Amino acid sequence: MTDEMTWIIQAQHGEDEGFTFLVETYQKPVYNLCYRMLGEAEAAEDAAQETFLKAYQNINRYDRERPFPTWLLSIAAHYCIDRLRRKRFSSFSIDEDEEGQTELPDTSAPDPESEAVKKQTRERLQGCLQSLEPVDRAAVIMRYWQDCSEVEIAQALKLTVPAVKSRLHRARRLLADLWEEKPTRIHRERKPYGSPAF
Amino acid sequence: MDHRPFEDWLLENKKLNTDEKRQLNAHLRSCQTCSALAEVDLALKSVRLAEPSAGFTDRFQVRLEARKKALRQRNFWGFFVLTVSVVGLLAWACWPFIQSIVQSPVSMLASWLSSVVSIWASAEALFQGGRVILKVVPGFVPTYVWMILLLIAGGWSLLWVFSLMKLTKIPQGA
Repeated sequence: MTDEMTWIIQAQHGEDEGFTFLVETYQKPVYNLCYRMLGEAEAAEDAAQETFLKAYQNINRYDRERPFPTWLLSIAAHYCIDRLRRKRFSSFSIDEDEEGQTELPDTSAPDPESEAVKKQTRERLQGCLQSLEPVDRAAVIMRYWQDCSEVEIAQALKLTVPAVKSRLHRARRLLADLWEEKPTRIHRERKPYGSPAF
Repeated sequence: MDHRPFEDWLLENKKLNTDEKRQLNAHLRSCQTCSALAEVDLALKSVRLAEPSAGFTDRFQVRLEARKKALRQRNFWGFFVLTVSVVGLLAWACWPFIQSIVQSPVSMLASWLSSVVSIWASAEALFQGGRVILKVVPGFVPTYVWMILLLIAGGWSLLWVFSLMKLTKIPQGA
């Protein structure tokens, strides 16, 4: 029996220690999904915490035949989708650094210029992601960051496999269109204090 | 060459041979759409996981405790309100009896006793009647009818048990 299964069984028997190990193990993928879905560090933290609370409350309903990360990500994805539907978030702006998730270029890094480029890529991508429909966004995040298969995404988002395929294609086409548009905007909307050297 | 196969290759993440790779590279240099598609794919693959700030598990435990406390409080107040409501409702419904007991307890007690005796007598009569029917009816009904009745009863019981199992099955997933 794997460690993970031991923790799950412990958690299902009401032992909080087992669940704590699960939180420790899966906090990063769950937080990442929430962050990529919601685009704000504070909201992502709240959503990730709520995801684990929901998982804690429903741990006895977890089917041990299914992969645990997929089940957990399914809860996170549905929570974020509901949240996005309930409340329209103000659109992500690349000019706003978010509280708690500020990604300034690391000047102590060997190559600060490349760090700045990476940061710009991350922001540009995050900006594009925010334009996707919530379910498509969840599918893309699970595919690329969580390495989930189309079958796992279908299970998690309660879709059919062809629907997942079609959503992923549509989302990637849209992302590519936005990707083409964004650089122009980024360069045009350079921060007043931004160095022209970048 | 047509634009279509290249876009499909990119969207399907097709494993390409050397010749196909060369063709795709040549196409990417001339096609902005496919180039953007490839670039986005690369960017998606290269961006790292966003991580929560340190102490996530501790914050979860604090939140879990707070949620448990809130749930306990809610349960307590729910139980309290329910108990008060039930007691109040009972008091309101029984108010005429309570009043009559307080005003003339002896006559109320006598009336209750007579009711109990009358219920007891009715039950006794029903029981005797039932005994007589049970003694007489089996003689009129043939054995095979009893067997059919037993089979029907067994079938109904099985159906009932399976329906109950189906209906009470806990759905999986959240």
